[in-house]
Amino acid sequence: MDFYLGLAQIIGIHTLLGLSAWCVLHTGQVSLAQGGFFAIGAYVAGMMTTIWHWPLLLALAMGAMVACAVAFVVGFPSLRIKGLMLVVATTAFSEIIRLFFFNLKYRVETEGGAVGPDGSLGFGGIRYLPTHGWSTFEVNVLIWALVAVVLLSLWALDRSRVGTLWRAVGEDELAAQSVGINLTTAKVSAFALGGAIAGLAGGVYAHYATHIEHGNFGILLSTFAIAYPILGGLSSLAGTLLAVVFIQGFLLEGLRFMGDWRSLLFGVLIVVVMLVRPNGLLTRPFKLSILHKGRAGAE
Amino acid sequence: MLTLIDLTQSVIDGLLFGSTYALIGIGFTLIFGVMHKINLSYAATSVAAAYLSLVVVNIVPTPLVYIAAALAGGVLGWMIYLVCFRFLPINNPRSTLLSTVGMLLAIEEFISHVTHGMPLNYPAMFQDSNIELGNFFIRGDLLFVFALGCIAMVALIQLLKRTRLGLATRAVAQQPIAAQLCGMGIATTNVSTFVIAGLLGGTAGAMTGAAVGVLSPLLALPLTVKGLVVTVIGGLGSIPGAIVAGLIVGACENLFQFMRGVSERDIYVMLMLFVFLVFRPGGLFAAPGGRD
Repeated sequence: MDFYLGLAQIIGIHTLLGLSAWCVLHTGQVSLAQGGFFAIGAYVAGMMTTIWHWPLLLALAMGAMVACAVAFVVGFPSLRIKGLMLVVATTAFSEIIRLFFFNLKYRVETEGGAVGPDGSLGFGGIRYLPTHGWSTFEVNVLIWALVAVVLLSLWALDRSRVGTLWRAVGEDELAAQSVGINLTTAKVSAFALGGAIAGLAGGVYAHYATHIEHGNFGILLSTFAIAYPILGGLSSLAGTLLAVVFIQGFLLEGLRFMGDWRSLLFGVLIVVVMLVRPNGLLTRPFKLSILHKGRAGAE
Repeated sequence: MLTLIDLTQSVIDGLLFGSTYALIGIGFTLIFGVMHKINLSYAATSVAAAYLSLVVVNIVPTPLVYIAAALAGGVLGWMIYLVCFRFLPINNPRSTLLSTVGMLLAIEEFISHVTHGMPLNYPAMFQDSNIELGNFFIRGDLLFVFALGCIAMVALIQLLKRTRLGLATRAVAQQPIAAQLCGMGIATTNVSTFVIAGLLGGTAGAMTGAAVGVLSPLLALPLTVKGLVVTVIGGLGSIPGAIVAGLIVGACENLFQFMRGVSERDIYVMLMLFVFLVFRPGGLFAAPGGRD
C-alpha cells in the first residue's frame, strides 16, 4: 500500500508540472523552462520552512510566487522569439537556474544543526512533513487537493475569455493579432501562470523528497514537463493527467519487472505514441494516424 | 603577464575544441534549413556513431575508425529520418520535437545499457606531437581534431555549392514548392540531408571522442545543448554562422572555465546566448529566405 501511496504522490507532483507546461503550450509556445521554475519553487519553499520556519502552505505559496515573478521577468525578452529559438532560450534558462543552485551555498545554524542549500551537495533536511507528523496519506491528500484546485482553475480558465485568447494565439498568432489580441500579454500571462504552477509543484516536491539537488532539475525534467501535455493531447486537461499516469505509473513503475530495459523502452514508447497519435492520446478523431496518413514529407 | 599567456592558451585550446561544436551546430542548422524541424536526437546519434566505430577499432588503423564513425552516422541519420520524421504530420512541429526527444533518451539509455555505464577509451592521433609556439603550446590531438573538422566543413560546403544534390538541398530549403515544381523530390532531399548531417555528426562524435579521450553516454545531452546554442548564436539555417559560433562558443567556454572554474562555466555560456537573443535575435548571420 505504501508503494502505491508513494507512487500517487509522484504522479500528483508530475501532474502539476505537466499542467504548468500545458499553460505555455496552449499559447503555442514550446518552453523547456518548466524545470527551472520547478527548481526555484523547490529551493524557495524548502528554505522558507527549514531556515525561517514558515508554515508549509505559506512556503509553497511563496515558492510559487517567486517562480511566477521570475517567469514574468524572463517572459518578456524570451517571448519575443518563438519556435526553435524559444526552445533553446528556455533550455539555456533552465540550465542557468540549475547551475545557479549547483553553486548556491547558504547555510544557517539552527538548533538542529546547519540547514540550507549546500552547493553541489544539494539541499537536505527539508523535514517539515516528518517533524509535523504528516502521514503519507495526509501528504497525498494535500498533493491531490492542490492538483484538484489547479485542474479546476485551469478548466474554468480554459472556458473563460482568457482561455479563448490563449487558444486563439496558440492556433494562429497572425490571425489572433489581426483581431486585436495582444500577443505579449497572452504569452507572458500564460508563461507566468505556468511558472507559478511549476513553482508550486517544485515546493511540494522539495517537501516530499526532503533532499533536493541540482541533478533533479536537469533538461530531462523540463522535457518530461512538455512531454505530458503533448503526449496526452493539448485539447483537454485530462490528457495531461492520463499521460502522467501512463508515463510515471505504467512506463516507469509498471514495467519495473523489465529491469534496466524499461528506461530504454520509455524513449521508444514516446516515439511509438507520436507515430500512432501525433496530436496526442486524447484528441479527436480516435484513429491511428499511421494507418490513415501518407508519408509526411510528400505533401 | 603569466595570466595573459594562460588566458590566450585557454582560448586556443577552446577554439580547437570548438570545431566539434561547429560540426554539431551545422548538423542542426542543415536539418532545420531543409525541413524547418529540429532533430533533438542529433547529438545523441553522433555519440552513438562514435560508439559504433569502436567495433572496428581493433581491426583497422585509427584513421579508418573515424571514417567508420562518419559512415555509421550517415546510416543512423537515415534511420532517424525514417523513425522520427517520415510518418509524422509535417504541420505539427511538436510531434517531431517529442519523437526526437524520445529517440535521444532511447539512444542514451541503449548506449549505457550496452556498455554497462562504463566510459570507453577512444583512439586519438598525434597525441605526442605537441607544437610549441613561443610561450604557447598547441596540443597535437586537438590540432588534428580541428583539422578534421575543417576538412569536413570544406567538404560539406563544396557538396552544397558544386553538386546537383547540394543544389536541390539549397532549393528545397529556400522554396519547397518551387523546388518541387522544378522536379526535385522533397522526400528524397530530406533523406539525403539527414544522411549528410549524419555523416558530419559521426565525424563530430569521433572528434569529441578523440579530443576528450573517452566516450560516455553522458556526452549526449551537453553536446545537444551546446549544439543548439551554437545554432542560435550563428543564426538558424546559416552554415558559416554555425562555424563561427562553434569556434566562439568553444573559445569562450574554455575562457570562462579558466576564469571561473568548471562548475560555473556553463552559466556564462548560457548568459552569452541570452545576450545574443536580446540584442541579435537573428544570430550572427541572418538565414537566407525561409520556407514561409
